[in-house]
Amino acid sequence: MVVLDNLSEMLKGVLEGIVLEIISRGEIYGYEITRRLHAMGFEGLAEATVYALLLRLEKNKLVHVTKRPSEIGPPRKFYTLNERGMEELEQFWTRWDFLSGRMEMLRNQGGKPS
Amino acid sequence: MSLSRETIDKIRKFAKEQSRYYLEDAEMTYMEKMRRKSAQTRDRIMKKLAKFKNRSETALEAQNDMILYMSDYMNDLIAQGYSEQEAFERARQDLQFRSDSDKSADLKERFTEYYENFDPAASEAIGLFYAGFLFFGVAIGGLAGLIAGGGKDAFLSGGWIDTLVGVLVGGVIGLGFGMISNAVVALKNRQ
Repeated sequence: MVVLDNLSEMLKGVLEGIVLEIISRGEIYGYEITRRLHAMGFEGLAEATVYALLLRLEKNKLVHVTKRPSEIGPPRKFYTLNERGMEELEQFWTRWDFLSGRMEMLRNQGGKPS
Repeated sequence: MSLSRETIDKIRKFAKEQSRYYLEDAEMTYMEKMRRKSAQTRDRIMKKLAKFKNRSETALEAQNDMILYMSDYMNDLIAQGYSEQEAFERARQDLQFRSDSDKSADLKERFTEYYENFDPAASEAIGLFYAGFLFFGVAIGGLAGLIAGGGKDAFLSGGWIDTLVGVLVGGVIGLGFGMISNAVVALKNRQ
């Protein structure tokens, strides 16, 4: 078992990208995203984080929302990525590729380009 | 899995109270980005923010989202063996809004600004003004009381009360002048 203390601190910068990627794979509702994250191993993630993040994604108009009736009363929101969200996701992966490439370089060659 | 009516009411109450903090936080993050652009943009966003604080459609949506999110989470907890009450308490604890965002950042900013602009010389001057005016008032008041009371002989034969009244009134007048000086220094520092 890998020691994952302080993982949530590292995740802060990339969680939006992770959630955007999950939403890009198909229509999904809020708590289902949390379940998906837990299944991926991100169990230490605070429950409130995804709720707050979804509000922000919606405010920043990165997602398209479809409302469907729920068993408990209020309509349930299902999220899909809109064009702006797709662009943001693409930019996220570009940033990620750059970062991970440099991190690998640092790890393998001490930061010296090959 | 269906939750009891009582628990659903508790969830609604919690969501109504907490969702507005999250909504405000989401809006503030957006606002923070915009704030850099111009004061005009900031005013516009503030108006928008004020609108969201009311029972707008957005606020109700955020509330509904939280109700569903919380009940989904509770259902998972119940499936793990929690009782309904335990699940509610755990969800309530985990979904409670914790601000480490703009509100606290703004407060920190204001404290930093205060300490950066804090001038020890101004505080020293204010203290000296108070002490100076207080001594001045006590001395003048005491002397005026002594003279008005009939001088040394009258003082020794029970007229000391006039001197005491003079000291007290002088002291109060001195404090009054000290406060006026404090206000003047504070206003000068603000400019």
